[in-house]
Amino acid sequence: MRDLSTPTEGSGYASAQVKDEARSPLIALIGPPNSGKTTLFNRLTGLRQKVANYPGVTVEKYVGQVQCNLERTVELVDLPGVHGFSARTLDERVTRDMLEGRLEDLSAPDAVVLIVDCTRLESQLMLVEPVLKLEIPTLLVLNMWDELEERGGNLDHMKLAHLLGVEVVKSNARVGVGVDQVKEFLSGVEIRQQGLPPPVHVLSNVPRGLPLPMIDAFTERRRRVDKVVDRVSFVRPGPARSTEGLDAIFLHRIWGPLVFLAVVLVVFQSIFTWAVPLMDGVEFLITSSGEWLANRLSDGWFRSLLIDGVWAGVGSVVVFLPQILVLFLFLGILEDSGYMARAAVIADRVMYRVGLQGRAFLPLLSGYACAVPAILAARTVEDERDRLATIFITPFMTCSARLPVYALLIAAFIPDRPLIGWLMGYRAAVLLGLYGLGIMAAVVTAFLLKRTLLRAEPGSFVMDLPPYRLPSARSIGLRLLDRSKIFLRRAGRVIFAVTIVLWMLTQFPRLDAGPPPIEESALGRIGQVIEPAIEPLGFDWRIGVGLVTSLAAREVFVGTLGTIYGVENASDDSMVLQETLRRNLTPAAAIGLLVFFAFALQCTSTVAVMRRETGGWKWPMLQFCYMLVLAYSGAFIAVRIF
Amino acid sequence: MGSTAPQSMSGLPKEEADVELRLGDIPLRQTVELVRIDLPADRAEPLLERGVLPGCRICPVRSSPTGDPIISVDGSLLALRRETADCLCVRLLSDFS
Repeated sequence: MRDLSTPTEGSGYASAQVKDEARSPLIALIGPPNSGKTTLFNRLTGLRQKVANYPGVTVEKYVGQVQCNLERTVELVDLPGVHGFSARTLDERVTRDMLEGRLEDLSAPDAVVLIVDCTRLESQLMLVEPVLKLEIPTLLVLNMWDELEERGGNLDHMKLAHLLGVEVVKSNARVGVGVDQVKEFLSGVEIRQQGLPPPVHVLSNVPRGLPLPMIDAFTERRRRVDKVVDRVSFVRPGPARSTEGLDAIFLHRIWGPLVFLAVVLVVFQSIFTWAVPLMDGVEFLITSSGEWLANRLSDGWFRSLLIDGVWAGVGSVVVFLPQILVLFLFLGILEDSGYMARAAVIADRVMYRVGLQGRAFLPLLSGYACAVPAILAARTVEDERDRLATIFITPFMTCSARLPVYALLIAAFIPDRPLIGWLMGYRAAVLLGLYGLGIMAAVVTAFLLKRTLLRAEPGSFVMDLPPYRLPSARSIGLRLLDRSKIFLRRAGRVIFAVTIVLWMLTQFPRLDAGPPPIEESALGRIGQVIEPAIEPLGFDWRIGVGLVTSLAAREVFVGTLGTIYGVENASDDSMVLQETLRRNLTPAAAIGLLVFFAFALQCTSTVAVMRRETGGWKWPMLQFCYMLVLAYSGAFIAVRIF
Repeated sequence: MGSTAPQSMSGLPKEEADVELRLGDIPLRQTVELVRIDLPADRAEPLLERGVLPGCRICPVRSSPTGDPIISVDGSLLALRRETADCLCVRLLSDFS
């Protein structure tokens, strides 16, 4: 059976370049979206995987180690799911560059594992030809074999192996069938000795707008695929009854939108209520561990730096971890089950009106937790202009970092009185209004963008609707673990640095006795420099300092005011904070401040991730200025109305 | 190259008399054959990659709550926009084919 592949190339060591000597074989795992690629990857690597980004772009790169047998380990790369290699999307570009060995930090693969959903053999085999032309050892994994048989389909996989000249494995990655055979193939892969593989055989690279030849090329390739499919006596499986039944509900004229709304509500509810006990728990851990540490350290600058600076600063961000995990748990379930694609279809018409497309629904929904993962999720938007527009409006979604600020200001200034009986109070109405404000700004911005900078013919929206499947706890668990790591790393780096700088600014210039009063510290002086600019909004220098520090992350605002007022009053109790705020800010200015926060892009992480995602400073800078102007004029108007 | 690829109506057998059909006009559950894609290459590509190629069989299986077609091609389900469906020229399959 193993005679077709893994040509063993002479003796190994002589000609290898220096950088290759120590490495283990590198295998690329590729396949179309929804073929079970990542499930197989998780099966093979388990916890021995790490996420990073491909150089220059934020396409996530999953590399893991596979222990094939006792003495052999290979590296496996999970490439993004693609339908082709034309580099029309970021994912396709990365996949192609990786296969051609053009990525800085990854050598060209020594072998390829191509996984396809064999219930849809014809269209999935379109990837086979370009992969075979790479002329490196290839394994074809026919995934979802169980489903093929269940639905009455069949094919002669031995014949397929013979026709294509590669090894073929039948698998069901979800439960682990066929995984051992894949490992066996991987254990036979040798490090390749000769140079780079030939370029990937692409069909299109045609300049935009040119007609026909590409379509012919696709048709030709398809004809060759059809010939193969005929000769392996492929019996197409019958319709997937369960998927049809579920679609009859989820895409029903009336039930569909209702289920959609219910799903959105549940996701919201989970972020804002169910995650709260978890967040309280994390907060308790942070405070008590801070106190524990404080009691063990002698009074002095180091304790002040560690407790008031690092612990409070990093802690204020880590508190959001449960919320983000709950969101990703839901998004993971929705995506892996196949519902997210249906949601995108339902949302498409509305999105289309403002010039976007249904795929933007997922990133925008994620934006209510945090814009950073949301902007990453915008990769699912295939059209480049639509993707940019989606990224551009994502920061208008009311992310959870705004909530601490909203909560503080609303509690301090908005009376706790009913507005519509027991249904809604003034406070809830204001909060809802702020959410609405964000949505409005997003809609208007998208509308303007699509008519100016990102003008384009409406793209042809094609959405794959994968069969419904039960999400696997294993896959979702692994993804949540990734998310936590990424989030904590961010909190560890950015916020850590910012809080240390902030703390230092409150400590200097040093007076003989100790730190200066806050007005005379470097931070206070910075605030006084900005004061004239924000005076028309009714903000004083203290708010100014808060606005500056909240550039790092919005929630830092609360902590900063705590520090400033705390230094002044030697107390940072939340009630005291509210009272002090009421003394320093008119109610109108408070509304202005809320509006300012609804619009302004005060988040370095978002700016950083935008720079990577859009490949330069142009978009993030434009975005920052646009949102600042909007925030300033919004606050200016609000102060005069109220 | 592509001599058999039907790019105009001229190559078709006798039923050509009827007007050009668009995918958007086809009732649910009626399988048709794709004749031509009236879209520029870069916008046709997402379709081509997913198996929506001239000569393929398409069956509209459902319409979304917003009235957009959901089609089945090679056993895959795809959601399109009405506007896209109207750019796909199709023909009915004759009884014997």
